[in-house]
Amino acid sequence: MPDRSRLRLVVLGVLVLSLVATLLGRLWYLQVLNAPQLRAEALNQQIHDIVTPAPRGEILDDTGKPFVDNKPALVVSVDRTALDRLGTAVESTVLHRLAVELGTSYTLLSNETKPCSYKKVQTSHGLEVTSSPTPCNNGVAYQPVVVSQLKPTLAAARKALQIKEKPEDYPGVTVELTGIRHYPKPDGALASSMLGYIQPISLGQLDKLPTADRAIYQNADVGATGLESEYEQDLRGVPGVKQVSVDHLGAVTGTVKDTPPVPGDDVVTNLDAGVQAALEHELQAAINAARSSHLTADFAAGVVLNVRTGGIVAMSSLPTYQPNQAPPTLTTKRYNQLLHAPGSPLFDKAFQGASAPGSTFKLISSSGLLWDGTASRYGTYDCSGSYLGKTNFEGEVGGFESLHQAIVQSCDTVFYRLAVADWNRDNRLVKEHKPPVEGVQRIAHAYGIGVKNPGVDLPGAATGHIADRKNQRLNWLALKKDYCAGAARRTRGSPLQRLDAFNCKDGYLFQPGDQMNEDIGQGTVTLSPLQLAVAYAALANGGTVFEPRVAKAIVSPTGKLIKRIKAPVRDHLPVSKIDLDYIRNAMYGVTHEQGGTGYGVFAGFPMGRVDVGGKTGTAELTGTSQNGSWFASFAGPAGQAPQFVTVIEVDKSDQGAVSAAPFVRNMWEQIYGIGGNKALFPNGVPPTKLPKVRIVEAGPPRHHHAHATVSSSSTSRATTSTSTSTTPASQAADGPPPALEARTERRGSAQ
Amino acid sequence: MTDWSESTRSAPISLRRETFRERAMDRDSFLRQLDWVLVAAVAVLCVLGCALVWAAAKPQGLGSSYLKKDILNIAIGSSLAVLAALVDYRTLRAYTPVLYGASLIGLLAVLTPLGSTINGAHSWIRLGGGFEVQPSEFAKIAVVLGIAMLLAEKREGRTEPTRNDILWCFGLSALPVVLILAQPDVGSVMVFVITIFGMLALSGIPGRYVGGMLALAIVGAFFVIHAHLLHSYQLARFQALSHNNNSVAAQTFSFNQKQAGIAIGHGGWFGQGLGHGTQTNGQFVPEQQTDFVFSVAGEELGLVGAGLIVLLSGIVLWRALRIARYARDRFGMLVGVGIVCWFAFQTFENVGMNLGIMPITGLPLPFVSYGGTSMFASMIAIGLLQNVRVRSNT
Repeated sequence: MPDRSRLRLVVLGVLVLSLVATLLGRLWYLQVLNAPQLRAEALNQQIHDIVTPAPRGEILDDTGKPFVDNKPALVVSVDRTALDRLGTAVESTVLHRLAVELGTSYTLLSNETKPCSYKKVQTSHGLEVTSSPTPCNNGVAYQPVVVSQLKPTLAAARKALQIKEKPEDYPGVTVELTGIRHYPKPDGALASSMLGYIQPISLGQLDKLPTADRAIYQNADVGATGLESEYEQDLRGVPGVKQVSVDHLGAVTGTVKDTPPVPGDDVVTNLDAGVQAALEHELQAAINAARSSHLTADFAAGVVLNVRTGGIVAMSSLPTYQPNQAPPTLTTKRYNQLLHAPGSPLFDKAFQGASAPGSTFKLISSSGLLWDGTASRYGTYDCSGSYLGKTNFEGEVGGFESLHQAIVQSCDTVFYRLAVADWNRDNRLVKEHKPPVEGVQRIAHAYGIGVKNPGVDLPGAATGHIADRKNQRLNWLALKKDYCAGAARRTRGSPLQRLDAFNCKDGYLFQPGDQMNEDIGQGTVTLSPLQLAVAYAALANGGTVFEPRVAKAIVSPTGKLIKRIKAPVRDHLPVSKIDLDYIRNAMYGVTHEQGGTGYGVFAGFPMGRVDVGGKTGTAELTGTSQNGSWFASFAGPAGQAPQFVTVIEVDKSDQGAVSAAPFVRNMWEQIYGIGGNKALFPNGVPPTKLPKVRIVEAGPPRHHHAHATVSSSSTSRATTSTSTSTTPASQAADGPPPALEARTERRGSAQ
Repeated sequence: MTDWSESTRSAPISLRRETFRERAMDRDSFLRQLDWVLVAAVAVLCVLGCALVWAAAKPQGLGSSYLKKDILNIAIGSSLAVLAALVDYRTLRAYTPVLYGASLIGLLAVLTPLGSTINGAHSWIRLGGGFEVQPSEFAKIAVVLGIAMLLAEKREGRTEPTRNDILWCFGLSALPVVLILAQPDVGSVMVFVITIFGMLALSGIPGRYVGGMLALAIVGAFFVIHAHLLHSYQLARFQALSHNNNSVAAQTFSFNQKQAGIAIGHGGWFGQGLGHGTQTNGQFVPEQQTDFVFSVAGEELGLVGAGLIVLLSGIVLWRALRIARYARDRFGMLVGVGIVCWFAFQTFENVGMNLGIMPITGLPLPFVSYGGTSMFASMIAIGLLQNVRVRSNT
């Protein structure tokens, strides 16, 4: 062999050795150095989570009647991955066929099942995230998308059967029996906005979750408003997660881990279905009565509060929506109708809206005036026909009288005089560079009005407002620009221009007129019926101001008490007990004494059995000659401390004694069983024990996912109990639909 | 022949006939002359191959059927190896032109409707009765023998091949290469190019020729890369038509390679256990009983098992190099070198594409990948190596 060949053989040997070394080195890199990352990638593509939503907890009244439960429905879902695998032609055929069967359109079905894609687009407002045509599937690709919910009627069952029996016609389409949210309206009570509704989780809400939970809740429904939102954590439960191994086509090859869902807990409320139904009935009657007198009565709102516990027994705002037709289930058209309907049915005036309470506010102003010494239980005050250009609005002219009589007759001029005295004292203090006393405002805050924390277990509750020297100035600083712009823009000399011009220059000033308006519940004072009820409850119970609660307890589906919910005490009124008793007596006088503004309404009421006190309110509204009419009332068995407070507000109607008070009387009659009514509470006391929750047997919880699975793909998959509808709110909104602007009807305080 | 005279001399002392065992164990017997290290390495590779092919086909429910066919292939291959080892390679050399001609006919047949219409894949001829052959595999043997024959021709006064011989080599190899390019099977073409280059270089041609060919290869590679675009496009389009494709469509190449990498990384040190690889069982890697069988080894047998396969392949190459080194004549040496180049490139390319450092081609891993013709050709090559070895020190 030539030497050359021998040498080249050695070279070939070295070459072969280096090739082997290269392979071993690379193998080492992949299997040892880079292994953790590759292993994670392997798990990521081999293991998929299939989420079974947990059955949501129920919301019950104080006797255990469900306000919200779940009922079985047939849910049709489309497994997009299974469908995609069959190619566009088959996919289109199947969806067309399904659209005909479900009575919907192909485009809608196709869009609903397509995964959402988001991209950033440069617009005039800067970078904005735009989504693919809505509706789209916000969930994960391998999770089937719910396209239709059918009520378990015969016709629907027949449809489902047609889909089920022809799996060859409907590849990738499943029909399952599952639980959907249901509002049974116990005793006919709606309680819609208090209960709230659920809707598919929004991207914003999803982003707030820990990363590990995002995949689990991607297709979840969450509480959007009301109690459904407030007690989301308790109602939600824990979704079941089934980890399945999948092959390269995404077909399930086995189960790695299967965690069954943990059903959510029930919320037992202080609400009583009977009282709630009665309140809703009376509010409707109040609206009807006002309208039959050719008044507008856009809405009526009311509250029944347990003064001893701070529990909300009933609360309603009419008009409202049907709880089973909540915004997320509505079409865009129907939703917009509801949004713009007169009386704003989507906005609850009982706890979300704040408006001028009129003379019902005299509870707060007399408390404040007695507390800071401006008024006295022994004083006499001139109830003249007018004072400083302001006339008596509701009350009679009564000459010199006590504060008691001023409350009974609702004499405004007495309060005007006290307000001016109050203002003069504070003005003197300010000039001496001392802090003003501002007794009425100080006591209003103690009653929970105009403070930051609305203090109720409902989202979006109103805090109310009352002006003082400090916040008047802060408001003015914030609004000055608008006032001055308005003064320049508006027609010179027009009332609004004059108002703007005044506010532009002197808006920071807290004028005597402001204090006068405040003391009779006008001007800068706004509050919600719920806040007023809390204030009257404090009067009734001797000074305890509650942060009211709808919920009473959280109970597990097996009936175990998880936690009791007590209404926290916000404040104990600094007003002396003697003063409070004095005011309470005057309030009893309103219904008991001749000349009392509520005397006529309660004529013939068996006060010997059930003793009722209260105060009428007639608020002037801007832009109309009609009034906001109010009646705030407390009652209890005669000789005992009051048990309940009932407040009713009727918008754009007659005086409080005419448009509101009679319906409060009706409420008392029904609650205590007067005048042929059956008492809604035996002994007139709401139940203190928790109701027996219907104990759910172990096994498939409730109606949820009874897995009457009709799966045309080989794998059985869970579906969400989602309603996928076409409303923009259900898709895009980050939370409840855009709330209406808080309705505050303020009067200008120009003098 | 001296041994023979010695044994005749001792005959009168021990008249009894030698037992088979004694004959087998005789220092100069055929069996003692065999390279048993090479046999053992190939045997272990075949056993590992059987296990991996079973594990790779199991998810499709074809585990035992593939295993049986693989064992049959090994059996047939081993018989062919024995045949290739028994016939003196100098006799074989005389029949090389016949072999070469036969393999050309095979490659031509592939391009006729006979090849493409039956199976869909251009490289195959279905013989009926469930048998398929890939003529390009046999062509590798024919070309190795043919080139060796040409370069080993005795010439007056010189030992190294003449320029004429080199041109003849190019001419001889051009025919099969062009035919395989037409299939198109770029991987096999590369095996041919590397093998022919290696054999030429080792035949002792002057260094300037080696350098010239390397330069030519670089220029050629440049063109191939550009032509490759066209090829992969044709390949992808062609494979889209057929379901039974031997490799994968161009656009999924990187995906497949990534999946193979994930499978191998998932194996770690000791692997997930034979038949328990989730990546394998999920069939994330395509062609996992043939081209990507190494990824199964990586996932299920780990660094230990996959490393063993690389080491065993290395041992096969080492033994082949050793056989070439001690070959009695130039022909034997060149056959050995040709087989080393062929196996070395094919192993490096196959394992390398599994490890993501080489482009994807349809080349099988010798003795491990499932595939009859490839197994037969590799086994014949081992037979030839033994043939050269047995006749080297005589």
